[in-house]
Amino acid sequence: MSPRRVRALVRRVTVELRRDRPSLALLFIAPIVVTGLFTFILRDASGPNLRVAIASGGSGPAAALISGRLDGALTGAGMTVTQAASVDAARSAVQDGSASIAILLPADLAPGKGSTITLLTKGLDPSGDAGQLAAVSQAILGGIASSMGTALPSLAHQTVYGTPSSDPMAPFAPAIVAFFVYFFVYLLTGVSFLRERTGGTLERLMATPVTRGEVVTGYILGFGLFAMLQVAILLTWALVAIRVPAIGPLPDVAIGLGIAVAGSPLLAFLVVLLLALGAVSLGIFLSTFARTELQVIQFIPVVLVPQFLLSGVLFSVDSLPSVLQPLVHFMPLAYAVDALREIFIRGADLSVADVQLDIAVLAAVAVLFAAVAFRTIRRDVV
Amino acid sequence: MVNSNPVPPPTPDAGEAAIRAVGLVKRFGPVVAVDGMTFDLAPGRIYGLLGPNGSGKTTLIRLLTGMTRATEGTAHVLGVRMPDRANLARIGYMTQGDGVYPALTAGENAQFFGAAYGVEDAAQVDEALRLVELADRAKTIAGTLSGGQRRRLSLACALVHKPPVLFLDEPTVGVDPLLRVQFWGHFRQLADAGTTIVVSSHVMDEADRCDELLFVRAGKVIARGSGGQLRAEAGTDDLEAAFLRFSGETAVAA
Repeated sequence: MSPRRVRALVRRVTVELRRDRPSLALLFIAPIVVTGLFTFILRDASGPNLRVAIASGGSGPAAALISGRLDGALTGAGMTVTQAASVDAARSAVQDGSASIAILLPADLAPGKGSTITLLTKGLDPSGDAGQLAAVSQAILGGIASSMGTALPSLAHQTVYGTPSSDPMAPFAPAIVAFFVYFFVYLLTGVSFLRERTGGTLERLMATPVTRGEVVTGYILGFGLFAMLQVAILLTWALVAIRVPAIGPLPDVAIGLGIAVAGSPLLAFLVVLLLALGAVSLGIFLSTFARTELQVIQFIPVVLVPQFLLSGVLFSVDSLPSVLQPLVHFMPLAYAVDALREIFIRGADLSVADVQLDIAVLAAVAVLFAAVAFRTIRRDVV
Repeated sequence: MVNSNPVPPPTPDAGEAAIRAVGLVKRFGPVVAVDGMTFDLAPGRIYGLLGPNGSGKTTLIRLLTGMTRATEGTAHVLGVRMPDRANLARIGYMTQGDGVYPALTAGENAQFFGAAYGVEDAAQVDEALRLVELADRAKTIAGTLSGGQRRRLSLACALVHKPPVLFLDEPTVGVDPLLRVQFWGHFRQLADAGTTIVVSSHVMDEADRCDELLFVRAGKVIARGSGGQLRAEAGTDDLEAAFLRFSGETAVAA
């Protein structure tokens, strides 16, 4: 391998990329916008605005008493409560959205009698409904207990790592950072290398003394350089929150996501970088099977979406169906997500066996993909 | 000095030929693209590979440059059996497509291919651009050059390392008549300086600019000689008619 030729390749790749404004935006701005949006949604969606309508099937004193107690308990829990004239009125309130949940008390409601209270939701958002049901059930139990002259024990929640009230983005941040780096680096390298193949420059390059190994090395170093910058910028964006004080009519804002990180940001950087280097080779490799840039994009549902689903980005790996569990071991992204969670949340360092394993696997995957990419640049191009 | 790369010395058995093909065959599955070609090409001359599209010209050039492996037979360039990566430093190859990087400037393209061939000398890169009259366009992004300018840049990238052997695959396709005249001027200049040039073309009117022609049809060399010789042999004034005459004869013979 000639260092001069590799240097020429690296220089060429970086000059090309530097002039490619849309790709630079894709690398540096898109991940910031997307992670910012994700964080905003997650953090501000945390307090569900519960509007409860209570309707009673009967009109006896027991119903009025319980309905009154419930009203007090629910209002005490921070919910907006309205009394509906009838069960039908409550149902239409849920339907038209003026109530998010309705409590339908049965006509035969009386203390000491086994009767059913119905909770009615719209049914379009199961996870949102589950949250409402939990909050409302808790309030109903409290109301009933107090109507019987007793009090329920209060529940306290503690966590081993972090605090229970901590940032809802905290468990997602490491996964989201890893995924977007993987995604954008793959896309960019895949398209670039495809241009090299279809533009006839690869054929031409292979007619010079440049070797396949030099081409792969040049690409990995060149794109690795940009990946490094991307990872550094994205991690800084994720971890830092710079407070900008209010200026005139503008309220004060924070720039950056301000995700708490318990471990070393530098170690996190290393993990994401290893993942990105693997993505460079993956892009070169997969571009072999594509004829057009559109086809590089068509590989995303085949290659990246399964990784997104099976690597614990959104769904915890432990909660996956047992049939899918073995597949997790074949997802490079899963190792990066695991290592980053260990570092971010548990504050793990290099002495932790899990992190060592993750880093070793990521390094091995990067080397393996580089070897595969090397094999796919045949002399018989075209 | 062509380059700084170590190049194996020519083997004596290749004799004086710059390019030697012996029984070259290339099959792609059932398709025989090159069907047993044997020839010697002497240094410092311009050879024209003439034949219709699909006659095997490009495959022959790819075999001679070592871009693809022969099914049978051998190819030697400057005494070195191809494919040989180190020997590529002494070979220039202008592909049918432009094969330049559109995001780089003309100068950066020439510089990059120069570096790929082992040329670090900036003056030599400038010289290649000057030769194709693109020196004043060195800072222009290749993607914004005109079609003819890109073709010239492609030529500059193929000869930036001053190769003693130059393969040009349809170099004048899509090139206007004036530029075509200029191109042939460059080729003659290089040949006079000792470069062996192999030009493939399916345009017969370019043929007389070559020192010698090889008529290629269905993967075989069906005739060889100067334009004048081939016309005389076929008993016609028209090279196109001569080609058809030779094609017909071999078809009958086969």
